[in-house]
Amino acid sequence: MTIPTITNPSFNETFYASLQTPPTGERVRTCLQCGMCSGVCPFGYVMDFPPGRMIAALRSEIFDRVMKSDTVWMCVACYACTEVCPSGIPLTEKLMARAKEELILSGAVPAELQLALENSQRYGNVLGQSPRKRADWTKGIQATVPVFGKEKKSAEVLWYVGDYASYHPRVQTTSRAFAQVLNALGVDFAILGSDESGDGDSQRLAGERGLFEVLAAKNAQAFRKYKFGEIITTDPHAFNAIKNVYPTLGISFPVRHYTQFLAERLEQLKPLLKQPVNGKITFHDPCYLGRANNIYDEPRALLQAIPGAELVEMSHSGKTSLCCGGGGGGMWLEGFQWEKAHTRTSEWRVREAIASGATTLAVACPYEPPRFEDAVKTVREASGMEVRDVIELLVESMEQ
Amino acid sequence: MGEKIGVYVCHCGSNIAGVVDVAGVAKWAEENLPNVRVARDYKFMCSSLGQEMIEKDIKDLGLTRVVVAACSPHLHEATFRNACKRAGLNPYLFEMVSIREQVSWVTKDKAIATEKAKALIAGGVKRVVYHQPLEPLFVDINPNVLVVGGGIAGIQAALEIADQGSHVYLVEREPSIGGHMAQFDKTFPTLDCAACILTPKMFTAGNHPNITLLTWSEVEKVDGFIGNFTVQIRQKARKVTAEKCTGCGVCEEKCPKKVIDTVFEAGMGTRKAIYTPFPQAVPKYPVIDVENCIYYQRGTCKACEKFCPTGAIDFDQKDEMMTVQVGNVILATGYELFDARRIPQYGYGRLANVVTNLEFERLSNTAGPTNGKIVLRDGVTAPQTVGIIHCVGSRDIKYNVDCSAICCMQSLKFAHLVKEKTGAKVYNFYIDIRTPGKTYDEFYRRILDEGVHFVRGKVAEVTDAPRFPGEEGKLIIQVEDTLAGRQLRVPVDMVVLSAAMQPRVDSKQVGQKFGISCSANGWFIERHPKLDPVATMTEGIFIAGVCQGPKDIPATVSQGAAAAARVLGLIGRKQVTLEPVRASINADQCSGCRICNNLCPFNAITFIEDRAVSDINPALCQGCGTCVSACPAGAITGSHFTNQQIMAQIEGVLLNFGNGHEPAEKLEQVPA
Repeated sequence: MTIPTITNPSFNETFYASLQTPPTGERVRTCLQCGMCSGVCPFGYVMDFPPGRMIAALRSEIFDRVMKSDTVWMCVACYACTEVCPSGIPLTEKLMARAKEELILSGAVPAELQLALENSQRYGNVLGQSPRKRADWTKGIQATVPVFGKEKKSAEVLWYVGDYASYHPRVQTTSRAFAQVLNALGVDFAILGSDESGDGDSQRLAGERGLFEVLAAKNAQAFRKYKFGEIITTDPHAFNAIKNVYPTLGISFPVRHYTQFLAERLEQLKPLLKQPVNGKITFHDPCYLGRANNIYDEPRALLQAIPGAELVEMSHSGKTSLCCGGGGGGMWLEGFQWEKAHTRTSEWRVREAIASGATTLAVACPYEPPRFEDAVKTVREASGMEVRDVIELLVESMEQ
Repeated sequence: MGEKIGVYVCHCGSNIAGVVDVAGVAKWAEENLPNVRVARDYKFMCSSLGQEMIEKDIKDLGLTRVVVAACSPHLHEATFRNACKRAGLNPYLFEMVSIREQVSWVTKDKAIATEKAKALIAGGVKRVVYHQPLEPLFVDINPNVLVVGGGIAGIQAALEIADQGSHVYLVEREPSIGGHMAQFDKTFPTLDCAACILTPKMFTAGNHPNITLLTWSEVEKVDGFIGNFTVQIRQKARKVTAEKCTGCGVCEEKCPKKVIDTVFEAGMGTRKAIYTPFPQAVPKYPVIDVENCIYYQRGTCKACEKFCPTGAIDFDQKDEMMTVQVGNVILATGYELFDARRIPQYGYGRLANVVTNLEFERLSNTAGPTNGKIVLRDGVTAPQTVGIIHCVGSRDIKYNVDCSAICCMQSLKFAHLVKEKTGAKVYNFYIDIRTPGKTYDEFYRRILDEGVHFVRGKVAEVTDAPRFPGEEGKLIIQVEDTLAGRQLRVPVDMVVLSAAMQPRVDSKQVGQKFGISCSANGWFIERHPKLDPVATMTEGIFIAGVCQGPKDIPATVSQGAAAAARVLGLIGRKQVTLEPVRASINADQCSGCRICNNLCPFNAITFIEDRAVSDINPALCQGCGTCVSACPAGAITGSHFTNQQIMAQIEGVLLNFGNGHEPAEKLEQVPA
């Protein structure tokens, strides 16, 4: 065994410097090495270098060793580390995303992630579907879903649908439900149809900043074509991108998550909620609604408005919510992460839902229904657990 | 005007000279500023050689005014005034210009710093011409002292002063003195019981002929100034007549209403609606908790009254206001515990067997609700594994950025107590072990030797959600072991949170009441963090103990004694010198509008009815200037801050603007 030596100090130096951009990046210098980030990381026990150890490596100028480990790809950008950091270091946004960016630049990308990123680049959606079919989910449904450019030039609400909500068969159900709710409330809205591209936020947090900027620019072009009051989306990742990151690229539009939008119209919505929904419901706080954007009350207020609904909380809830495993590229690293961990955070989450006594696991993010429904299938004691987006539960209660 | 001004520019080692061209500034002042007879720069103006230089110049060159450009007036204004005085110049014919705090420490660019120093010095030179000789005011000091807060800091201060012979009013909000220390079990590092060492002091304070003990009382209002404060104190109705009560305790025994005691027992135990917080309480008289007393809720009961052998219960007793005159005040208002619910990751309030440090103290205390048995919330089960979490709500920019100073030692003490009493396996989770006190590291080694497990890592979460076999029914502590470089999940039965010390929620209001300020994080600000830790910027108001910042018992006691020594020093002088910076009213110009009367924060202005003009009492006036700026007739003058002086200073500061002396765009970069 040889004494570890500083092998590539200049890389270490440039990487460390690239993290220290104001207004919060320079806080990395104030890391106490308390390890709270690495301790709270759902995959911290699998990673060779969870955030704290990465900073330690930077300080001892051996960061090139971090780059030799592929366990950085276990990061699901869930913001748990950022949430607890006592020095307020932007670990998810800066440190982890930058480390992944370096791996991508060096070509060390797991194949399945590579494919997803290529799909995004080529087709504008991560699922590799034809952009022309983006609004196909609206075909043959009762609700009216106007498309900008076709039926409308302007509307109060631009509904940004997003990749999964447009193409994924399970999540299309949620989209249809939201269309129904918007119709019932008489909201003047339209979608972008084939003008829409993926929001790019998870690609950004998987290290593909360049791709993110391309997608953002495409969406900005589409947004600018039409007149609308605000953007509403069912996707917390899109919400996060448009609210917090697009403005740094000069793309500024008012945006809200649908739970905020509907919670504001709760009085109008309440009389429509007639059918009781029985059983206990527990709400899973999506990382990008909760920790990343501090929205905890609105989804719960919507659930509580449903007759018969009894809301219970899981062990991890609110700020401590446990990630479904889909963020930061996790959606596209299923195989890789299974190889490393032989477990899935979605399974832990479903077990917690059972322990809470709930029979329905309510969600508010398009990544979640497919992930949790898969987990329900693999966790034996979970059979019978329903996974429903909050909108789906609202529609169930609205139906005659 | 023919004044001869001496200008002295200090290097302050490299503090100023490293940034400002001090020699250049002095030369410039001598050549360019009006009335400057001599300008010199010197390594340390505050040194005796520096002072002698000024004195010599006054005598040899016949200087009539002196300007020193150096540090802040807080530090050395008095030094240079004295130098002037020794050379026969009235000390108020001196002006100090701060070119360290206001220039060199806050300006990086040397050229800009030098120009700014010149501008400020020009202001000083222009101003000092208009200075007038002033004579100091003397006021008598009332030897009585007010001590606010009856914890160990306040008790110590009160005893020191009372023993010397001055009278102390010791005001305490709770029914008994003793503070947090009375709640503790053992004290580190010697492990002597807190009550054993505290109660004798409490008893002495309660029975001291020179101490008026005012428990269940709060200060309502403070007027006046050093030497002469008038304090209004509300004595809340105890509903028990102290003169009749013998402290026999029958009332407590017979009271049918049990209340969870969230103050003394930290929610771990109960008390009655009529109660003394603990058996050794001083004074021994109980109080009736009106909010919970059955009689006050339903109009019947009066069990306490029926059984009281001396007829001491008085349901009609009202709050009483008393006014006392004191010369000095010591604030020793202590701290509050950080609310651990604010960190949802630790599950406090949701997970039953997560307890705070204060709750643990009560659990471990033989006089506490479990008679000192360390058990789970069920009241019977002894824990087999206990995790102690350090730095809860401290060293975190979201809560309190500073170290809470006592938690390491306290957590080590807890580890020892758990091991000693239950034999349980104990883990300490820490970021850094901080044991800098006398024999503290010896204590740390002792606990290490006792076999306590130490894991270096701030606990990430405490959860009841099992993930692996063996975790069911346990509290799982998830943490990065930063030394071993791996994530751990440690199943335990009980978690103790070493929650931080926090300023009292009302510390800002209390500070305002006494005319002192709090730092951004809420602790009272001392006059100087190193050299004057118990004084404040307000003369006659002192601080002691944790209200000034987190500290342990030895440091708290030291501060209590130190504050007492400062007060006794003032009392010994019998008189204090006050700055002659005062406002005065020109009766010929006063229209009698009385606007100033109510604005004066020190009630120093009275209206003379027969002459229909307002008049200022110079002993009460603090020279704040409020009335000066408010007077519509311009009839009020603030000495040493006259309009002429201020306008001249502004003119001097702006002297070089627009002369092309420095590029305007460069000056814009000067930090505000």
